[in-house]
Amino acid sequence: MSMSRSKRDRSIPRRPLLWLAAALLFTLPPMFRSLATWVPCLFLLALAMKFWMEPRGYRLRFAIFKLMLSAVALLIIFVSYNSLKGIEPAVSLLVVLISLKVLEAHTAREFQVMVLMGWVLCLCGFFLSQDFAAAFCLLTAFALLLVALIQFHRAASRGAFWPPLRTACKLLAQAAPLIVLLFVFFPRIGTGFRFEFRDLRAAGTGFSDRLSPGSIALLANSSGIAFRAEFPGSNTRPTGPMYWRGAVMWHCDGMEWRAPYAPASISRAPNQSPSGNTIRQRITLAPHGARWMFALDRPFEIPRSAMLVRGDYIRSVQPIRKTRRYEVVSSPEVTRNDLTPYERKEALELPASISPAVRELAQSWVAQNSNSRAIISSALQFFRTQGFRYSLSPGEYKKNDLEQFLFHRRVGFCEHYAASFATLMRLAGIPARVVVGYLGGEYNDLGDFFLVRQADTHAWCEVWLTESGWTRVDPTNVVAPGRAGLDLNSFLEGRIGSGQMEPRRSAFIARLARSAIFTNIRLAWETLNYQWDTRLLGFDADVQDVLLSSIGIAKHGPYFLIVEVLAIAVVMLVIYFGWMQFGTRSRVNRVKVLYERFCRKIARLGAQRDP
Amino acid sequence: MKARRLPLVYPTASFAGLLFVLGAMWYAASSQNSPAVYLLLFALTAVFLVSIPHTLINLVGVRVAPESAQPAFAGQEVSLPVEISNSSRATRHGIELALSGSNRDRERIDYIPADKAARMTLRFPARRRGEHEIGALRLTSVYPLGFIRVSKKFASAQTYIVYPKPEGDPQLPSNGTSIPRSRLETEIGEGDDFAGVRAYVSGESQRHIDWKAVARGQPLMIKQFAAETEGVVHLDFSALGFANVEERLSQLALWVIEAERARRPYGLRLPGTEIPPAVGQVHFHQCLRALSLFQVGMPGSA
Repeated sequence: MSMSRSKRDRSIPRRPLLWLAAALLFTLPPMFRSLATWVPCLFLLALAMKFWMEPRGYRLRFAIFKLMLSAVALLIIFVSYNSLKGIEPAVSLLVVLISLKVLEAHTAREFQVMVLMGWVLCLCGFFLSQDFAAAFCLLTAFALLLVALIQFHRAASRGAFWPPLRTACKLLAQAAPLIVLLFVFFPRIGTGFRFEFRDLRAAGTGFSDRLSPGSIALLANSSGIAFRAEFPGSNTRPTGPMYWRGAVMWHCDGMEWRAPYAPASISRAPNQSPSGNTIRQRITLAPHGARWMFALDRPFEIPRSAMLVRGDYIRSVQPIRKTRRYEVVSSPEVTRNDLTPYERKEALELPASISPAVRELAQSWVAQNSNSRAIISSALQFFRTQGFRYSLSPGEYKKNDLEQFLFHRRVGFCEHYAASFATLMRLAGIPARVVVGYLGGEYNDLGDFFLVRQADTHAWCEVWLTESGWTRVDPTNVVAPGRAGLDLNSFLEGRIGSGQMEPRRSAFIARLARSAIFTNIRLAWETLNYQWDTRLLGFDADVQDVLLSSIGIAKHGPYFLIVEVLAIAVVMLVIYFGWMQFGTRSRVNRVKVLYERFCRKIARLGAQRDP
Repeated sequence: MKARRLPLVYPTASFAGLLFVLGAMWYAASSQNSPAVYLLLFALTAVFLVSIPHTLINLVGVRVAPESAQPAFAGQEVSLPVEISNSSRATRHGIELALSGSNRDRERIDYIPADKAARMTLRFPARRRGEHEIGALRLTSVYPLGFIRVSKKFASAQTYIVYPKPEGDPQLPSNGTSIPRSRLETEIGEGDDFAGVRAYVSGESQRHIDWKAVARGQPLMIKQFAAETEGVVHLDFSALGFANVEERLSQLALWVIEAERARRPYGLRLPGTEIPPAVGQVHFHQCLRALSLFQVGMPGSA
């Protein structure tokens, strides 16, 4: 029972400071991912300095010195970002100012301020990244700040680890139903003023409107998530390989292909909707800042605020800056049975720079074969038999290196095969285009969804055949049989296992990655990720509106709802209070009450209690 | 001592900071339409709301029992020992005690285990002489988060005495009847020859405290020196030359201290009261108490 005067705050006690430091460390990972490295390093340094300075009574004292340090920080931030606008410089500035505050703070009230600033840092972390890993760190930091604050107010009470932790857990457990209540029902009133982040970082996006040699192979090692797909109604899961259509490229430049910048929107006539085999997909798309949206080959029922464009793929009306969830229906049978003269011309266009040897190759197929199908078979036969190799690191090609690729080096990744095949088809007089998207996806049986990574980016071809319209031809399949049925990582693991490819990682790591326990942990983590992205990040104001009106409580207006939510909250708090009072009520009191009653009875009999 | 009214709940200064942070979170969440930030906002709000009953419960079962305070001289500090008992089954944390109406002199105790009591000493300045009521004590607590303060008032009829501030001429008046030397052989006073030690009397000069004994952990003692002695001193209120009652009382208080320290028998004569000459602790406090309560509440006595 130590006693201390309230005027004691000449320094911050060590134990709460340790908790505070632990909490602030958890705010660092999102910073390290997004900010200039020196910013979180400076923050770490400030924390370390604090532990050195506090027992010695040192601190930042002079206002001029603090101002100078702030000015220097501002200057360095401007130099390292070339701007002060945008979210990263703003957060960096805040982090630097908080570092200075940490060095300066020395009294009890300032500890309270430091905890509040820690919560502001959590907020900043969410500006930088909202994926599950970041959220996990930031929410942990949030809880640890709570522990720090409780430990601070416990001061010299017994126990520095479990007791404050237990109190914090109790608070959080009691707060949990309230959080759910507020999160689901508290109306999301807009401020009317929205600021857009200049550039939200997308996780390893590599998808672009340009297909150049090596651009997809570069992504093969990326673990970034492109999207997750669920198939509501499991009987409609696709049976064949999953080609996720992203964009169609018409413009040919040898080895390099390009999609139109603003593809024309098309509408699908209702009578063209396919009869059988339709597949409904629910896709959760990671934000990438552009308008790409993906669906199985080929979409025909498109989501809201998206459009179907020429080439039968979907595009968002607005750039996708945050996780987007949509439903789309596809059918492999959807085709268009008309090719306008303009489209035919476009689908046969070729650059002038194609070498005579390449032209000759295409012409030889035309001479040998009578119809388009036979020409296609000859071309595929060419890729199959002429020693082409499938490799993640095929070396560098320029856009005019078609001859180099076809006759000399003969090693490439999917984009090389798709681009060269489509170019050859055009040379042979068959309308052809390149489609880019994703191929495959890893099935997660814990969460019952497919995870499609950036590494699964793929390019394939479509050729126009009079009898069947635009028909998919995937030359990569000829060179790397089996790729179409799997996601890229599983395919590569399989190849490495059978000795067809050199391993990318050490054998130990590879074996570890394949082991059952690691796979299960990974699948569980990905499921959590998916739940976070869909359940939580998906629950924005619009979804809330839909939910509230479906329950029928939206019609009273937001203020009524606020009052209702607060009333429930107050009732909950009263219940908590009553419960805690019941739990801690003294047994001694009961003895006392009985004794008082006894004394009253005795008094009636004439015996007074001695005062 | 029972709580007089329902506990008061009010925000502390750092609550403004919390509101600011919540406001920033709300602005960011609504302008971004970001569920993650909303989650953070609602988590902080909910934790804060849930902390209110925790703060309230922190004073339930906590009682205050002030004990009798030692008399103090005006201008010094009153030390009021208080027993704080926790009759609940849970440990209570971060309890602060203050006189009602004074926020500055707040005492804090970090924790009181279940069914235990703790003692603390509340110190506050003694301003005016006389007998004062403590009035009410206020127990407050901000545990666990410090954004809300809950406060309970406990009325108390406990009183404390403040003696007049000793001021004036330390030279004792020479109006005493002289006593032959043979009768009091070893009078002790401000002489040169060391003659032993005696207990320190609160309020007297610290010049002769035996600091070495204090350092050994012994109570405050005064070193005494033998000197030539004089007779009984009569301290007479009406014989003093000042017009001001308070000045006279201060002078008398100083003389009482000096005489007690010199071990000279002293008597006090106030209008309406007379205390016969004697020496010793009981007599000493009786005299000071008489001075302290003299004409309290009468016009011109403040």
